[in-house]
Amino acid sequence: MIHLKNLDKQYKNGDQTLRVLNDIHLKIEENEFVAIMGPSGSGKSTLMNMIGCLDQPTSGEYLLHGTDVASQPEKELAKVRNAQIGFVFQQFHLLPKLSAMMNVELPLIYGGVKKKERRERARLALEKVGLEDRVNHLPNQLSGGQKQRVAIARALINEPSLILADEPTGALDSKSGTQIMELFTQLHHEGATLIMVTHEQEVADYAKRIVTVRDGEIIKDRGHEYVVPR
Amino acid sequence: MSFLDSVKMALRSLWSHRLRSMLTMLGIIIGVGSVITVVAIGKGGEAVLTSQFAGGGNNTFEVYYMPPDEELMDYDAYDDVAYTTEDLRAIQEMPSVNQVIAYAYNSTNVVYHQEAAGAQILAINENYYDLNEFTASSGRLLDNRDVDNGRRVVTLSTGVVEELFAANDEAVGQIVNIEGVPFEVIGVHERENQSFFAFQVDELLLPQSSWPMLYGTDNMDMLNVQANSADDIQIASHAVTNYLNDQSTLSGEYQVLNMEEIEQGISQVTNVTTMIIGGVAGISLLVGGIGVMNIMLVSVTERTREIGLRKSLGATRGNILLQFLIESVTLTTIGGLIGIMLGAGVANTVSLIAGWPFLVSIPVVLLGVGFSMFVGIVFGLLPANKAAKLDPIEALRHE
Repeated sequence: MIHLKNLDKQYKNGDQTLRVLNDIHLKIEENEFVAIMGPSGSGKSTLMNMIGCLDQPTSGEYLLHGTDVASQPEKELAKVRNAQIGFVFQQFHLLPKLSAMMNVELPLIYGGVKKKERRERARLALEKVGLEDRVNHLPNQLSGGQKQRVAIARALINEPSLILADEPTGALDSKSGTQIMELFTQLHHEGATLIMVTHEQEVADYAKRIVTVRDGEIIKDRGHEYVVPR
Repeated sequence: MSFLDSVKMALRSLWSHRLRSMLTMLGIIIGVGSVITVVAIGKGGEAVLTSQFAGGGNNTFEVYYMPPDEELMDYDAYDDVAYTTEDLRAIQEMPSVNQVIAYAYNSTNVVYHQEAAGAQILAINENYYDLNEFTASSGRLLDNRDVDNGRRVVTLSTGVVEELFAANDEAVGQIVNIEGVPFEVIGVHERENQSFFAFQVDELLLPQSSWPMLYGTDNMDMLNVQANSADDIQIASHAVTNYLNDQSTLSGEYQVLNMEEIEQGISQVTNVTTMIIGGVAGISLLVGGIGVMNIMLVSVTERTREIGLRKSLGATRGNILLQFLIESVTLTTIGGLIGIMLGAGVANTVSLIAGWPFLVSIPVVLLGVGFSMFVGIVFGLLPANKAAKLDPIEALRHE
């Protein structure tokens, strides 16, 4: 489903060129649960942004469902993000003035879905993450774990082919963190494709496959028969 | 994403910062409000001035004598101005003329028993009531039978009555002396529709036919001519002045107050004044617009993470641009609407106090709304573009 080929990402900082990603090759199939690990500054976040179509590579190809999205214009990338990818962030990123329901339906607004259908689907998504009784609560009336579950409902609502989670348990206590990881595991069993960035081994262990990045290169790919060709 | 959803989103966001939105609107409210007020007051004032100078638009013009330049300051130069009965008859017979309104006047004392009051006496006929409307607050007004029969009767203005008599109704039926000639008081008159600027004059009205008894002449001093129609005013005024100047042995010249020119002059003056004050008000609208831009820029910075999030959820640059543009246009449009209501309120109050017509026109209101929307677009564009161009990754990381 995801196929990264010869992916490079460089940042120009004055005269210096910073190579953040260096000749990345990665294939991820449907219904995989992958953790991307690595120390800070290893390039794992950039890799994540690249997969999430928030950033574009300097060179190389990114095939999502067989189409090269790396070379698409900004407007198309926005469409891909809206329809194919659900994001879950460490800091939840819920809009504070909107109710849980309204936060969840945001992607549908950009997808052009009618209000009645939006409401219906948002309710179902909140039910799925166990927040059917928190529909009209504002984010600051919710606990950290509940906020993250609202964010997951928002990521699920467009039935994306891929869920990208960036340190999803980083801002949570261990109990809520466990609940979130159990929710991810459940989603995986239901057929979702999950990619998660983390630096906690304990969290990464929920995943079936762990990709380790260092200095912009994939140095380990445990739990997968696919060997990085050099 | 539908346009309606964008508008709802903008309204919700403005509502969540009510105080700030209100304060931001203030500049626009004051700007639009003052434009509406100034234009309305200008138009109202113009209407009042025009109606006063143009005699209510009944196609009447006044003929006056203009001495040569060297005699301008010389009071005696005007003494020989007189319109004889033949002059008036000739003018009356001109085809473009509907009627001649001539009167004689003098200043003298009117005496009742031991009391004397200074007053202006006007020798009139019934036509005079076409120049100014009169009502009788007691007794009756002069009519044509008084003129035709040369009756020695008079009506007094309230001011004269107050000086000579204890009460209004005591005056009627009494005999007063004017230049030694006794006249019977038949009524107390009042001028209607007195203009805002005019002051009350103590005056007596008496029949033209009794004028020779007082001053030994039936020549009239003042001449107004009513043309048949507005189109005839030019023709009539030429005919009248040509006739008078041909007859005249005076060194000066008879002229006509051209109402059209006066009207144009008034409207030019009020237009220029309105434009100047309107321009100043326009500047306050500009300042209001800059205020909106300022707040929108602050808002974009504050909501950087929100913008990053929206982009990651699939908002395009266009969506973000539209969202902020709608917010600024909504701000200025609501501000403009409040300003219009405020301005109309102030203009209405002023017109009530001054007794002017209330003239807030639909085009001015539409212009006010249109212009405030325009200000919203112009000054919203920079912040909205800044928001749309944000890089989602950077924006999400923003603290």
